[in-house]
Amino acid sequence: MLSEYFSNGKNKEPLPPKPVEEMPHTRAGLSFKAWRDARKGNHKMRNIRWTVLVFMNLLFVVSFTFDLAILEGSLSGSRLVGFYLMDPFNSLQLLAISSRTGYIAMLTMNFWIGMITILIFWFILGGRTFCSWMCPYHILAEWAEKVHNYLVNKKKIKEHNYHVGLRFVFMVGFILLAVLTANLVFENLNVVGIISKSMIYGPSLLLLWVLAIILFEVFVSKRFWCRYVCPIGATYSLVGKLSPVAIKFELDKCGYCLECHKVCLVPHELWFVRRGAATQEVHFVGSDCTRCGLCVDVCPGKALTYSVRGASAIM
Amino acid sequence: MDKEKKNIKRREFLKGSLVATGALALFGTGAFILDNKAAETIPREDFLRPPGAIDEAHFLSGCIKCGLCVQICPVQAIKLSGAAEGLAFGTPYIEPRMQPCDFSCDALQCVETCPTAVLNFEPFKAAGLRAVEAAAAQPGADLAQVNPFEVQKVAMKEEVRMGRAQVNKSTCLAHKEQGFKGVSRGQDFKGIYRSPNEDASSASPLREREFDREICNLCITECPIGEKAIYQKLSRSGKLVPHVLDGCTGCGVCQMVCPTENASIVVEPY
Repeated sequence: MLSEYFSNGKNKEPLPPKPVEEMPHTRAGLSFKAWRDARKGNHKMRNIRWTVLVFMNLLFVVSFTFDLAILEGSLSGSRLVGFYLMDPFNSLQLLAISSRTGYIAMLTMNFWIGMITILIFWFILGGRTFCSWMCPYHILAEWAEKVHNYLVNKKKIKEHNYHVGLRFVFMVGFILLAVLTANLVFENLNVVGIISKSMIYGPSLLLLWVLAIILFEVFVSKRFWCRYVCPIGATYSLVGKLSPVAIKFELDKCGYCLECHKVCLVPHELWFVRRGAATQEVHFVGSDCTRCGLCVDVCPGKALTYSVRGASAIM
Repeated sequence: MDKEKKNIKRREFLKGSLVATGALALFGTGAFILDNKAAETIPREDFLRPPGAIDEAHFLSGCIKCGLCVQICPVQAIKLSGAAEGLAFGTPYIEPRMQPCDFSCDALQCVETCPTAVLNFEPFKAAGLRAVEAAAAQPGADLAQVNPFEVQKVAMKEEVRMGRAQVNKSTCLAHKEQGFKGVSRGQDFKGIYRSPNEDASSASPLREREFDREICNLCITECPIGEKAIYQKLSRSGKLVPHVLDGCTGCGVCQMVCPTENASIVVEPY
């Protein structure tokens, strides 16, 4: 149904929680604990994702080092076998500046092709899919998060959470800054670009900035950059608002164990997994989701799966 | 969500936004001041922007620092600036004394590849087309004999204006009426270029070339543009010295090949 495609069911009345006899562990004839721990240590999706991420970033490096025309440039702007790709937030800033300075007419056809291709590509695969499958900072942040969680569990540090809407404040702010100064200000602070370029063209001093962010994430606030700052991620989450590729949640397979909630980078998007919170039998995770698959790996009842939204309606 | 929870959320958001705005203002002005400071130090003698670079202010507002120009350059003349160069961070530059642009890509590929047109290809395209038209319009021109690509590529490289070479008369060997024999810049020098005197398609190291000149004229014989840019002039005092013309593109090959300890011919950026 088309209406289901657009509505996330957030404003509907929640469905009543399932009774014990309808819970997946009862149906499987297991104790809740045994059922919950059955898939512990499963990292299939994560391993696939890390392989793709490392491979794509190495492809940039290899293309330059050995002068192969496969994937040239960096994550700010690149050419895939001669076909241009542009970072969408960079393009957005550039359009904002150039419409003020009148420079917009000079932008090349390759710029437009690169921007539109990237937008279409990531719209199909789901906006922030870029973050967990391509962004080299993401993998560092994942490791930083592990250390952070360890420290929190040991009660060495306190967890600090902020409002996830701050990303959009930063996004608008950086665009305004770009227009006001006629300068791509964010590119100097862009940890994604800094890491990507450091890998390809050799390390730069700006890596200290990346280190500072990582230390802040380890000791103060989990996934600070990705959750609250990164305007690239914010742009992608707008791009992926109605993406067909999404994580699908099926209530009848859910055991309310919240394992997914614990591993998720954007747990506010998994609001429906709590007992008695779901309003529909099927939910699709919202556009802040990076499709990283950590929840898919961990879900004991396989209630969370990769899916193509609307495919069943078309078939 | 009940009302109270919503209010807490809203307050959290407003508080965060305030801090975020502060951070933005701080980092924004910081980055802006640093980049502008860098812009003030340009033009500097040691560095050139790649061919076709538009004026520095617009260049800074449009360069996304992707490095495509760096990757496509066959002689690796273009580099991205770090903190040491004092240019806007991550922007491309050429250091002609170490590795100049020698036009051996034949088509200004760095300019053509630039997606944001801060290296603007339009003037080169126009110059190329003009040249082809002019060649075809020449009386007695045999259209079958005109190779448009050859005409175009010469016209395009002659359109480049990265700067203009200046001769330092106090150190120039020709001005001192001295010759030069041997390998310029020594055996360890890594710079490469395509010599106009050889029939080669790609560049080769400067150290592989042995020169023997009664009066030093390396800057003249190695210039990829030729007599439109520089020629050997008989000065009033009867010396044969290099003389730079308006056709100089500022590619910097002369600056690299110059055998004196510090280059006696230096490209000054426009």
